[in-house]
Amino acid sequence: MMKWQNVKWIYLREVRDQLRDRRTLFTIAVLPVLLYPLLGMTFLQVAQFSREHTTPVLVLGAGSLPETPRLLDENKFDTNFSSERDAKLFDLTIEPGLPAGVTATELRAWAEQQIHDGTYDAVVYFPGEFGERLNAFRDAMKKEQRESDSKQPETTRESVPIPEPELFVNTASDKSRMARERVESVLTRWRDSIVVDNLRDRRIPSVATKPFKVVSTDVARERSRRAAVWSKILPFVVLIWALTGAFYPAIDLCAGEKERGTLETLLCSPAERSEIAWGKLLTIMTFSMATSVLNLMSMGMTGAFIASRIAVLGGEVTTKLAIGTPPPAAVVWLLLALVPLSALFSAVSLAIAAFAKSSKEGQYYLMPVLMITLPLMMLPMMPTTELDLGMSLIPVAGVMLLLQALIEGQYLEAVRFVVPVMGVTSLCCLLAMRWAIDQFNKESVLFREGEQWGLGIWLRSLIRDRRETPSLSAAVLCGVLLLLIRFFAGFMFAKPETWAGFALTTVISLVGFIAIPAVLMSILLTRSPTKTLLLRAPRFDAAAMAALLALALHPANVAMGLLVQKVYPFSSDIVEQLKAFESVINGAPGLWAVILVLAVAPAICEEIAFRGFILSGMRHMGHKWVAILVTSVFFGAAHMILQQSLTACMVGMVLGYLAIQTGSLLPCIVFHMTHNSLSMVMAIGVPKLIETYPGLSFLFSDGEAGTLYQWPAIAVGLVLGIGLLNWFRNLPYEHTKEESLQEALDHQTVQLPAKS
Amino acid sequence: MIHVRELTKSYADLRQGSFVAVDSISFDAVRGQIYGLLGPNGAGKTTALRILSTMLQPTSGQATVNGYDVLTQPALVRRQIGYVSMNTAVYDRMTAWEMVEYFGRLYGIEPDRLRDRMEAIFERLQMNEIRDLLGAKMSTGMKQKVSIARAIVHDPPVLIFDEATSGLDVLVARALHKTVAELRDQGKCIVFSTHIMREVERLCDRIAILHRGHVLAEGTLVDLADQHSEPDLEELFFRLISEHDNNVVLTN
Repeated sequence: MMKWQNVKWIYLREVRDQLRDRRTLFTIAVLPVLLYPLLGMTFLQVAQFSREHTTPVLVLGAGSLPETPRLLDENKFDTNFSSERDAKLFDLTIEPGLPAGVTATELRAWAEQQIHDGTYDAVVYFPGEFGERLNAFRDAMKKEQRESDSKQPETTRESVPIPEPELFVNTASDKSRMARERVESVLTRWRDSIVVDNLRDRRIPSVATKPFKVVSTDVARERSRRAAVWSKILPFVVLIWALTGAFYPAIDLCAGEKERGTLETLLCSPAERSEIAWGKLLTIMTFSMATSVLNLMSMGMTGAFIASRIAVLGGEVTTKLAIGTPPPAAVVWLLLALVPLSALFSAVSLAIAAFAKSSKEGQYYLMPVLMITLPLMMLPMMPTTELDLGMSLIPVAGVMLLLQALIEGQYLEAVRFVVPVMGVTSLCCLLAMRWAIDQFNKESVLFREGEQWGLGIWLRSLIRDRRETPSLSAAVLCGVLLLLIRFFAGFMFAKPETWAGFALTTVISLVGFIAIPAVLMSILLTRSPTKTLLLRAPRFDAAAMAALLALALHPANVAMGLLVQKVYPFSSDIVEQLKAFESVINGAPGLWAVILVLAVAPAICEEIAFRGFILSGMRHMGHKWVAILVTSVFFGAAHMILQQSLTACMVGMVLGYLAIQTGSLLPCIVFHMTHNSLSMVMAIGVPKLIETYPGLSFLFSDGEAGTLYQWPAIAVGLVLGIGLLNWFRNLPYEHTKEESLQEALDHQTVQLPAKS
Repeated sequence: MIHVRELTKSYADLRQGSFVAVDSISFDAVRGQIYGLLGPNGAGKTTALRILSTMLQPTSGQATVNGYDVLTQPALVRRQIGYVSMNTAVYDRMTAWEMVEYFGRLYGIEPDRLRDRMEAIFERLQMNEIRDLLGAKMSTGMKQKVSIARAIVHDPPVLIFDEATSGLDVLVARALHKTVAELRDQGKCIVFSTHIMREVERLCDRIAILHRGHVLAEGTLVDLADQHSEPDLEELFFRLISEHDNNVVLTN
């Protein structure tokens, strides 16, 4: 039994220890307090710089500019087109024509060189006849106007194209990009003024270019607009810091203690592994939350300061950045959501840090953790993602979406998902904790020493040191391998369109990509393939009971499948695929063929791989149910389509249980076969059956979603199923060595007085 | 108090398949006795004692401490022992007093009793001057004192010292010997591993000579001298070890 008193002592000690460590204090308290003001100052400096930096611009061909409107006023742009203040930011060099010795065709290369050398940030070139042609164009228009005034529209204006001025910039350079913006804004204003002149000449009011204006009104209240912006930014910042704030103390608390030799001192004390793990978890959580909150505060204050400074500077930026301070409710929600999230991050960090043998090794693991967590954090920031049941079941992302909804004030929406979000988060926390406690129990992790590793030696050791059943890592390897083969095989085969083609590819991939790899691995990596693959006769009645169990649980399973589809609806792609699949099935010569290919073959092949090889290896973990769960996750993942994976995972739990309780693969194959056959019969046979015998409708209903069981069938099936599972529970099952030890460890009583 | 029967520990090793660190050793230690494990580096002393302190699980064989099995009742075993080894360091960022108090609390000792007991221990081990000194600032000898105080704070019936004098100067080592002898006189069962002959001669009531995971000889010092007709322990030690190594070479 875990004693919370001990957890408290460990927690208090670890916190004090961390507070006495200068490095920790620096990363957690000093860094955030200094970081944001520094960043803010840099930002202001850059803003200042870009406002005051003068741009050297070369204007070529100034001689061919038209007289009116005047673009250049001596060595500046005319104040009509650039404000007094902006004009000062230009450092113009004006040439009447092309530079000496450069032709118009060589100009590009020449300008490139000038910008590259940093002599100019931009080069503007007005071609030789620019002004003349422009004037000619305007004269022609004036003439047309006069002619139309005197009602003599005979002459047609010959259109001579006006040569285009060129602006040379190098967008790879920030200064040159800034120069382009500035020069373009001047030239645009200048061109607009020519347009206005032209219109005036043709007696068209300048309003004609903008007959109406679109007025866009933001109906969002100022508060909710601010909330919307903050709801995207704040959770992200808080999460990143919660993770970093958890990771570094975790490494110091576990890997660091291993290095300093104090972990062994602690482990030989009477404190239990679980007490040590919980004490450390709470410490890590404390620091994770503190880091997050401190960062938030420092960022908030710097942000407010910068915003006020920018407001003083003025300009367009102000409106863009005017998001104000986050609403106070947002901060409250944020702090509430921080608790489960930092618990999750802390538990994961703790497990990883307990696994690492040194701080250095621990640091290496931060990257993979970020690679997994970041997509989960980014997902809710995508514009199309919304809080629904499916999303709420995804760790991290669910909490972030819930938080967004709360900050935006959609309380009713949010309340509906509090239970699933918190459920998933707690489950993940507990799993990570379980893993961490296991790490503290493992001597291979505590006293891991560097060993010379070579591919050759390793492969030889795999064969030489094999045990009766596969090792845990061999089981994981097999699972990953099967998934990879399955994934790549998907690209290899074209989608078959005939039944024969479909049957062939299905059987080939089941045998070749699932059964054969597992059998080969059992022969190579274990001493007893028959024991590994559970190839022995079970109790005489176990197979029959398994068939009955499959029958009893099928209605509940179908209902569960339907529920899963409600939560995660099929995408249109998958619906297409399923339709194609259905039409292929309809081409089968009969129900027997469908059952052979989709029930018998998968039952045999998948059971060999999953309940045979993988489960046998997983059982070396010492926890029966964890072994079943992990195997089922692999089994589910192998089904590729999410909705099918989830239901397969649940069926996998029952199959794993049967395998362990009966010690034989046969009941599993029978259950699997019966289950799949029933699904086929439901889809193909039952509709016809109901047509012939309408009396059966008390069992089945035929609706839009296909043939389904009625409620009474589900309920009776469940009761029967639980009874049957109880029968299996009472079978004497064979423990692995690890499972026996674990049971003994779980039953040791702690509080006995010392024997003398 | 301690019964060890055919205890074996092997580690997975990529090159050789498995490395046997402790090979079927057996011995018994009783209360009021210091049992010495004498052996060169790599003999398997630390592995054997780590199994007794439940840090490691045996591959086969059995070991019980005060009646509790080290494999299946590790939590109970840990309440019976105080373990001091070169691998059990003291916390850098804790003072001597805090460190001993911390472990006392983990053993669930009542605060008043704990304070009295700690005062007595600090007095006996002459630790009062380092009471408020942080672990990081302590010398090796001071650290070892804190470790011993930590190991005896709950007054365990069994004490395990694994190379406890390594790195200590003569003065501190002598003081430690004195403490260990006193603990024996209080009726504790003590297992003391070392590679130093003088310590064994001075302290141990019974010894096992350990080499490459095997017990080469076992008994009181007088027994051993008689059995092998070699009164000098160091000579005996060398003889046994080289005989064993020669046998290994011959059988290979």
